Amino acid sequence: MNAVRARNESAWLLPAGPGTDERLRRNMRGYADGDEVDIVIVGCGAGGATLLQRLARAGWTAVALEAGPFWDPERDWVSDEAGSHHLYWTEPRIIAGTDPVPLGSNNSGRGVGGSMVHFAGYAPRLHPSDFHTFSADGVGADWPLEYADLRPYYEDLEEELPVAGERWPWGDPHGYPHRPHPVSGNGELLLRGARACGITAKVGPVAIANGRFGNRPHCIYRGFCLQGCKVNAKASPLITHVPDALAHGAEVRAEAMATGIGLDERTGQATGVRYLRHGVERFQRARMVAVAGYSIETPRLLLHSTSKRFPDGMCNDFDLVGRYLMVQGAPQTAGRFDAEVRMWKAPPPEVSTEEFYETDPANSYRRGFSIQTVSPLPITWAEHVAAQGHWGAELRRYMSDYPHWACLGALCEFLPLAENRVTLADERDRNGMPIARFSYSQCSNDRQLMVAAQHVMEQILTAAGAAEVITINRYAHLVGGARMARDERSGVVNRDCRSFAVPNLMVTDGSVLPTQGSANPALTIMALAARTAAVLSTGARRGVLTSVKE
Amino acid sequence: MSGFTPDPANNDGRYPGFSTVGQSKHWDAATAAVVMARLGRAVDIRFFTPVEEAAARALFDQLLNQHDEPRVPVVNLVDARLTEEETDGWHYEDLPRDGEAWKASLAALDAETGARWGCSFALASRTQQARVLGEIQSLHKASWHGFPADRLWGLWTRYACTAFYSHPWAWDEIGFAGPAYPRGYKNLGVDRLEPFEVRDARPGEDPVRKPGDGQ
Repeated sequence: MNAVRARNESAWLLPAGPGTDERLRRNMRGYADGDEVDIVIVGCGAGGATLLQRLARAGWTAVALEAGPFWDPERDWVSDEAGSHHLYWTEPRIIAGTDPVPLGSNNSGRGVGGSMVHFAGYAPRLHPSDFHTFSADGVGADWPLEYADLRPYYEDLEEELPVAGERWPWGDPHGYPHRPHPVSGNGELLLRGARACGITAKVGPVAIANGRFGNRPHCIYRGFCLQGCKVNAKASPLITHVPDALAHGAEVRAEAMATGIGLDERTGQATGVRYLRHGVERFQRARMVAVAGYSIETPRLLLHSTSKRFPDGMCNDFDLVGRYLMVQGAPQTAGRFDAEVRMWKAPPPEVSTEEFYETDPANSYRRGFSIQTVSPLPITWAEHVAAQGHWGAELRRYMSDYPHWACLGALCEFLPLAENRVTLADERDRNGMPIARFSYSQCSNDRQLMVAAQHVMEQILTAAGAAEVITINRYAHLVGGARMARDERSGVVNRDCRSFAVPNLMVTDGSVLPTQGSANPALTIMALAARTAAVLSTGARRGVLTSVKE
Repeated sequence: MSGFTPDPANNDGRYPGFSTVGQSKHWDAATAAVVMARLGRAVDIRFFTPVEEAAARALFDQLLNQHDEPRVPVVNLVDARLTEEETDGWHYEDLPRDGEAWKASLAALDAETGARWGCSFALASRTQQARVLGEIQSLHKASWHGFPADRLWGLWTRYACTAFYSHPWAWDEIGFAGPAYPRGYKNLGVDRLEPFEVRDARPGEDPVRKPGDGQ
């Protein structure tokens, strides 16, 4: 048996070809609410599912509560933009601030597999510099751990997803387990334009199998990665970690919306999770609780979990829950070519450059951005064109030119700011729970990065032969909101993702990131969860946790 | 370019003869069910009142330049979304939830044309309608009938474009090949087409360098 299969057999547990692991689901272990399981995890996305799989392998009794459905890709997903609306978290939320950030399809998933079901597939690592931006540049924050602490988990997960790409020259240089994919017109033009500008660009890194992987088939280049991969070629925890978790006795309880975390006022320990399932309120008892609902729902759940000990929300002694939430500035610049690009063919994630990732002392701003291919489908492309002010006949005329356009996207490292945060609104959802209010305002460094990134994308497209370029300003990804830090006055959790305030409460999702770099966050979220699982399973049998401090 | 000629044999657009639906035998069943339903009878209006429906029809006809039949039934598609509260999962703090924002903003369109020309938005002339919309768009962040104009514009165009560009007729007009599972693509790269794709017959209609009568 090869090493990756010995660590995670998911790809071999799926049926050969597209489809789902029906037998695993039918035979899935089920726990009663009254059973005190070793761990209950809220959310079954990048962080939750990785933790679930690792701990189930280590012999823990583990249940993941997932608000959305347990997907059957063949039945539930379609090769269609508008028909994929159910993949997104569309419960009401309020957006505010001077630069409000749209949620839903933009960055919020639901269902088993989480947002990775509809992520493009880019799986870059953070750079070593990301872990101490405050010491080095006086911006952002220093992590309570270093790149070297995460490296072995990055390597493991790159094998498990698996990630395909050229040898990566940036950050900590490294190779990938799968060879780079062939590129389409859009990728070809980014490579051509970058070469003409003297900018290094590389194919990858994408979490899409290039060649057969276990029973998972080869990518068919249909271009609907953002609508959920029916092929089983693009990674999401639904196929990369959940099958192995189920085979090791874990339960994934779908359609279960967590509404509160139980607390024993006497011991100060979490007792389990209150949740709504099919209209009935229930409570799953557990020895340990991990929250992995991502940067909006994790703070919302913590803030909503009030008690005598935590009148302002669990773990919120220092008013840090929900704060330092970040998005990446993600301007998209498109270029018009006489040739036909047909950018919808092949996966949108193809080629990227991290040449502008690090701080350049010559610039007036700190930190940087990456540039990647993005390939909007018609509805998203119409949004791009409409943002230029076109409507009516002009909109239709621009749209009829669709095959001639190539499109690039940047990821700008926006800085963590205390006032960019989630709070609870007065408005309530259908369960009677206060909805999240997400406020975002950019700082001057953020704005400068957006301008600089647009300028480079325009240069690249023009050098590739574009006669005209148009840009839309948008945002991508979410991280932070319950960040890790060295002490309880700077963050909500420690380096192991354990909360400072409640010793048996973990946060294992993107909320814990103190900074974000210019990398798509999925791989880092998984690596952090895998590291936490390794720490937990090593110390698991030490008995009841009593100490608040490390 | 308003109105459609759904018969591909008579398709005189930039991709003559191309029909995504003509490829539907290559689609998976789940996708075919979702896409083909859009070609069936449009669902009845349930969310908008008759007065709101009239304003919404006129607004969508303007935004998408659909002034003749057959039309993509945008008003029905939007009405269905609002009935089912199929929102995008967020609303601006200074706008109410989507359904309420739609109702209030359509009433504001009627109030605007009522005050200026004594008629509802739907009964205003096309030129008058376009003038009102052009003015709202040029307000940017400024307030229009109590709403931030740019956010209202965003709400209208977002719903309009999502409905319109979900329809196979619109795909044929823009050369988009449509659903691609389980077949996928074999010919990747600049100017490389699949045997079933149709090349742009009028590449000179570049909207960038040769502005036409729309500008």
